[in-house]
Amino acid sequence: MTLLAHAIAAAPPATLSGEGLRGRPLAWSEAGDLGLWSTEWAPDIKLERPDALEHHRLVERICAAQSCLPVRFGTAFATSDDARASLDKRAVALRAALGRVAGKSELALTLLWRESPGPLPIETADGPGRRYMEARRAEFAAREARRARAESMVDRVVAELAIDRQLVWHETCTSDNVAVSLAVLVPTERAAERKAELEGVAARFPDVIPVLNGPWPPYTFARTE
Amino acid sequence: MKELTAEDASLLELVDRLLNKGVVLAGEATISVAGIDLIYLGLNVVLAAVETIDKAQERRAS
Repeated sequence: MTLLAHAIAAAPPATLSGEGLRGRPLAWSEAGDLGLWSTEWAPDIKLERPDALEHHRLVERICAAQSCLPVRFGTAFATSDDARASLDKRAVALRAALGRVAGKSELALTLLWRESPGPLPIETADGPGRRYMEARRAEFAAREARRARAESMVDRVVAELAIDRQLVWHETCTSDNVAVSLAVLVPTERAAERKAELEGVAARFPDVIPVLNGPWPPYTFARTE
Repeated sequence: MKELTAEDASLLELVDRLLNKGVVLAGEATISVAGIDLIYLGLNVVLAAVETIDKAQERRAS
């Protein structure tokens, strides 16, 4: 029986209904003081896109019942013994990660540029080589300006919300549309309040559209490597 | 550039977390997700989006 992993938590397991993905049985594999929540799966059943979202809802349900580390979607074990062996091997790091995220949730802030980069002004047009170089230079300068602007917005969010840098992860300019993708780890009981504060700060940036999500399970902060 | 709606951004952020974040454990089965390319790495497998693994390999090479 294959196990499709959802989340790691400290033993003993919280009381949860027995339904995992697609109504299949939810399993708990215990290794020392840790355990893995997973769905009893069959290797011949292909995962579909809705399964990813159902995995998310399951992880949310587990996190609501007890502190947990979400496992990357699609991770599977051939047997419960294999799952336990994997937990045993990384128990120290997993315990430390669990301690970091205990009682916390993740808020996600995406800042989308309101406008595409405009046409680049080229000052000289002496010849094709010169024009090409000028265009490249202008393009590079525009890209750097956008990156600097995105980083300045991150700095402002972190400063205004007085967030510990260790509890923030961000990337800037990951595509033409995205200025900032930011995740922040907040105490679960204050998530709504922190989300409103985040929204207030982000709404003051005139050149981006803020998109706020969460509270989510602490996906971004569950890494152990 | 293609317009990205707030709904698109929310879904992309969530899918990115499901496939690229979270604890990576070694497993022993191969599962494919429709519409998402997953690959199998050796006997102990880590399933992830191909793009993620490509990026990790590039980082290791550099």
